[in-house]
Amino acid sequence: MSKALIIDDETQMRRLLRMVLETRGHEVCEAADGQLGLQEAAFHRPDVVLLDLGLPGLSGIEVLKRLREWSDVPVLILSVRDQEAVKVEALEAGADDYVTKPFGTAELLARLNVIQRRRFTRQSPQITAGALVLDLLHHEATLEDAPLKLTPTEFALIKVLAEHAGRIVTQNQIIRQVWAGQSSDASEGLRVHINHLRKKLGETGPKIVNEPGIGYRLEAE
Amino acid sequence: MNSSETHSPKPPRPPVPVAVAVVGQFSWGLTTLFVLASACWAVLPYTGHMFAALVFLLAIVLAGTRWNRSAVLTMAVASALVWNFIFVPPRFTLHIESPQDVVMFVMFFIVALSMGHLTTRLREREAALERHHQEREQLLAEKHRAELLAEAETLHRTLLDSVSHELKTPISIIRTAIDGLGTENPFAREIETANRRLQRIVENFLEITRVESEAVKPRPEWCEATDVLDQATRTLKRELGAHPLKVSGFADLPLLMLDSRLLAQAVSNVLHNATLYAPMGTPIELSATLADEQLEVRVRDHGPGLPEDVDDRVFEKFYRTPGSPAGGTGLGLAISRGLMRALKGDITVRNHPEGGAEFTLHLPVKIRQSPEP
Repeated sequence: MSKALIIDDETQMRRLLRMVLETRGHEVCEAADGQLGLQEAAFHRPDVVLLDLGLPGLSGIEVLKRLREWSDVPVLILSVRDQEAVKVEALEAGADDYVTKPFGTAELLARLNVIQRRRFTRQSPQITAGALVLDLLHHEATLEDAPLKLTPTEFALIKVLAEHAGRIVTQNQIIRQVWAGQSSDASEGLRVHINHLRKKLGETGPKIVNEPGIGYRLEAE
Repeated sequence: MNSSETHSPKPPRPPVPVAVAVVGQFSWGLTTLFVLASACWAVLPYTGHMFAALVFLLAIVLAGTRWNRSAVLTMAVASALVWNFIFVPPRFTLHIESPQDVVMFVMFFIVALSMGHLTTRLREREAALERHHQEREQLLAEKHRAELLAEAETLHRTLLDSVSHELKTPISIIRTAIDGLGTENPFAREIETANRRLQRIVENFLEITRVESEAVKPRPEWCEATDVLDQATRTLKRELGAHPLKVSGFADLPLLMLDSRLLAQAVSNVLHNATLYAPMGTPIELSATLADEQLEVRVRDHGPGLPEDVDDRVFEKFYRTPGSPAGGTGLGLAISRGLMRALKGDITVRNHPEGGAEFTLHLPVKIRQSPEP
């Protein structure tokens, strides 16, 4: 049974999330502010953390940074709209994904599932995202069992997205992994290659969804 | 040259008065010299010719504190010659008899020139310092003003953020609670519909506040037009269920440099508006074209169109055309206009010749033709 820690200052929100998560078989602990949240995280060792960004006192970002000093527990950010810069900051500080309030329960649970899945390390040199299969050993891709020709950059790009399938990857995270050490206008290059990849993946392949101001998410289902 | 530098520290003065001032200084200098020479001539029997030299030097120093350099230097040269010619024996020749007087004359000449030079330079420095000081004060005042503005902006944003948080939290809680209830219960469904409406109203009010307080700052980045399309329709899935959406042009556009989030929101509001006014089942056409680095997005519905006399008024805050369906705040299109203007573009509307309203959103964009893979 997985253990979830909810760090949110709204009592009602905590109570509701607890009910939602408990009916899905999670064990739940709560904290009303960042300081308590960090204590609870150290004490209970949760399997996943739901962290509100708008906490009083110690900010959500600060809680995340301190948590990341000693723990790699998956963290889902709960945020409101129009906080793109803060969301990016949180994601780069080690958050795994975010949901925007008001969010549907289905969306919340789907995100929690995806970010908890990453705990299981990959055993085979293959990544599957819907109809797309990447063979990391031979650097080959197949779409619906037909070979798909990709340039090395496109392969590196789809690899990053597929490794995080269903999760948001920030623009900087992509650029760091695909264009490491190159100083050209990587953001422009990224758009161009995403454009090419989308054309190659077509209707049958997984969808590359843009989250404006934040990054990309590969939707396999 | 120097005259304009020393005498017009702030805005450049018209040239004529400067020239007049300089000529004035020359004549004043020579007049002073004449007066002093006459006075010294009168007391010469009691003082000796060295006294005249000291008087001249004093006059040059004083002149240096007021007049410009060329006038002072001319005065220095003239006084050296006058002293030599009138006061140094033999008088009324430029010839000097005693070697001591030759040395004195040369020294006088050097001292007079350097004094003139030094005092005027000192004054120029002072003027420059003064100017520098004024500029600094001006800069400080500007900085202070900018800080005040930034402070007001931060306060405004904090207030907006906290209002936003207070309004959205209950909506968010209701949403989660209804999800928990399940949608089989018809009462729960009614609450859900009302809650969605409430959410839209709150978001519209917050957005119009942001737009009006110019808190909307575009952050352009390279994006695909299809991303704009995707974002604009994402939150309207339910409303667009009743209207087939015919999309054209988006996939053919090159990479665009723009703030896709703001444009998508502007388009989304217009689309939502169309779903409200056009009869159920009628299609909505959404097209994008690019010409001369101007992106145009058109939204055309097959509804009744606008009443004859309305046109631009639909973009006014709280304006609702006569016979509008209940609900809605009359803010959606005003927000769209605000956003388009923040993007340095605009939005217009007309009745399509073949019926229905046609909104055109246009804005300048930078483009990048992507090479084929």
